[in-house]
Amino acid sequence: MSKVSSELAAKLKTSKEFNAEACYHCGTCTALCPMGYEVLPRKLFREAMLGLEEKVKARIPEIYQCLLCRMCEENCPQDVHIAENVRYLRNLINKEEMNLIK
Amino acid sequence: MAQKRKIGVYVCHCGGNISDYVNVEEVVEGVKNEPGVEVAKTHMFSCSDAAQQLMIDEIKEKQLDGVVVASCSPKLHMFTFRGMSERAGLNPYQYVQVNLREQCSWAHTNDKIGATEKGINLVRAGIAKCILSHSLSAIRIETKPSALVIGAGISGMRAALSLADMGLAVHLIEKEDEVGGWALKTALMGPEAQNGPDIAEKLIARIKQHDNIMLYTGAELTEKSGNIGDFNVKVRLNDDSEVTLNIGAIIVTTGFDTYVPQDGEYGWGTDGVVELKDFRKMLNDGKLERNGKPIKDVVFIYCVGSRQKKTETCENPNSYCSRYCCTATTFTAKTLHALEEKTGQTVNQYHLYRDIRTYGKMETVYEEARNDGALFLRWDPENPPVVSQADGKLLVKVQDELDGNDEIEIGADLVVLSTGMRPRDNESLDDILKIPKSKDGFLNEIHIKLRPVETVIDGVFIAGTAQSPKTLAESVASSLAAVAKTGGLLKKGYVDLEPLIAKVYEDKCTWCDECLKACPYGAIEKNVCGDKEIAMVIGALCKGEGACVPVCPHDAIDIEGFRDDQIIAMIDASIKDIK
Repeated sequence: MSKVSSELAAKLKTSKEFNAEACYHCGTCTALCPMGYEVLPRKLFREAMLGLEEKVKARIPEIYQCLLCRMCEENCPQDVHIAENVRYLRNLINKEEMNLIK
Repeated sequence: MAQKRKIGVYVCHCGGNISDYVNVEEVVEGVKNEPGVEVAKTHMFSCSDAAQQLMIDEIKEKQLDGVVVASCSPKLHMFTFRGMSERAGLNPYQYVQVNLREQCSWAHTNDKIGATEKGINLVRAGIAKCILSHSLSAIRIETKPSALVIGAGISGMRAALSLADMGLAVHLIEKEDEVGGWALKTALMGPEAQNGPDIAEKLIARIKQHDNIMLYTGAELTEKSGNIGDFNVKVRLNDDSEVTLNIGAIIVTTGFDTYVPQDGEYGWGTDGVVELKDFRKMLNDGKLERNGKPIKDVVFIYCVGSRQKKTETCENPNSYCSRYCCTATTFTAKTLHALEEKTGQTVNQYHLYRDIRTYGKMETVYEEARNDGALFLRWDPENPPVVSQADGKLLVKVQDELDGNDEIEIGADLVVLSTGMRPRDNESLDDILKIPKSKDGFLNEIHIKLRPVETVIDGVFIAGTAQSPKTLAESVASSLAAVAKTGGLLKKGYVDLEPLIAKVYEDKCTWCDECLKACPYGAIEKNVCGDKEIAMVIGALCKGEGACVPVCPHDAIDIEGFRDDQIIAMIDASIKDIK
């Protein structure tokens, strides 16, 4: 069971940078990932949007392994800015989890 | 008594639909020497204009006094050939159709010899019936130029106004003391943010001004008698006085009730669990707080009281979809978002749905709600969301199908139940009107596609949500459909009814009231004829259904067109040897 963090959900909802509402879970991104890592943008983004904080944290290695090559983004049928979203999540983690950004 | 008749028999090939399996020439041979047959032949397509003209010419030339066409089902072409008979100067009720296609050739494609023999028997029976047929004329009823509309919600008011604009007198009755229905109590409505009270109040103002509309509030129908075109009704007003009205037609727009959840259903009864309509009121007041604290997380649960399955706790499930709720709830998401923009307060919206049915133009509402950041989680009816309470917050557990059925726990300030529609309890009105109901309890039309506002009771129409769950737009569309049917009926001034109805043999009848008890349409009355009490048929109410015939101990009642002597003659004719 995962708990919803109201704060995380609100943060992503109001963010100008993060936007994955259009995703309809087709899986094109997953199929095209050249790293073969289980980055799974569609799952990751959904979990982030729902505010499932623990799940997002568990994916921290994958979030940083992403090459930002945009192969997924180029082919996304819904024009989700996948790389931008991943960078936003990195930024968020740097700030809130790692205390890197003051 | 069979008199000497001159009957024309026409056997149809129907292209090959009949003649591929039934040897139509053999059928002609088998029936041409039957008593009364003057001419027997085949046509490739009897319903074609050319074939009809040939038959008309022959009827006139040979002075035929009866016609049998052996072709398709009477459902398809009975009126075609009745019309043909009329054009040939023949009474249309001396025409008999034999169903040689649906009930013979199509049913026996594997047995051509058997099909041909059966065809001969069927046509012989038709001829026997035709011999005993006689002239009948339609029952003509003068219609009264006024209508009764029951229920003054949007559907009823819209119907009343349109009928009044046609120049008909309209009596609009409403059980409540206030007219306007649910729309008056609903704030902004999807898909385009129309304001319910505005819509209602505009109609109310016009109703009150219109010279042709008489509005009765706090009024209930207490009695109805008469028939299509000429009903007598009594209406009791709230001061216990009674008015009697003579009207030509009735439109029933009694509307719906909202589904009230059972205690504990999705947390119903817990503080903070509300119905959609109450939440919409909250939004309308512009307040996003509960118990003095700002609202941060709202969970919407869809399909409450709709699409139910029978379970131990739900004995009479509402199996239908209530149609309006998906649009209303996704539209509410937009309203909420607009309020967020205005106030700067962020509210997370979790929409727990089974399927989103924002059909037609309303799909854009759903799309906009998603783009505004409302989150949609799909649940399986086997694992519905569970609402509980902990530390002053509501906890909603749901298995999200879009994320591998993982269980998610949402802490919510407010849980909004998107409740469906329910048929209204109107027991006394139901007893008076006797309109059949669907198993869900809504009023039933004759044909859901082709006769959507007519009921089995001639002259009584249904519209709006009394008939089934509908959006407001759909309700008004059906109410105007009922107006079209009512206007067509009443403006014409008369209505012709089928004369194939019950008739009483006065000499045989002893008035035992068995037929009265058997008749589902209330079409039998006691009448005094000389010094004798007998049954009398009210022509405009009788449907020719025949429930009265077998119960009569003296064979004193018959159905025209299906009289006992005709049926017996048909049986005799159809069991004769073929050769």
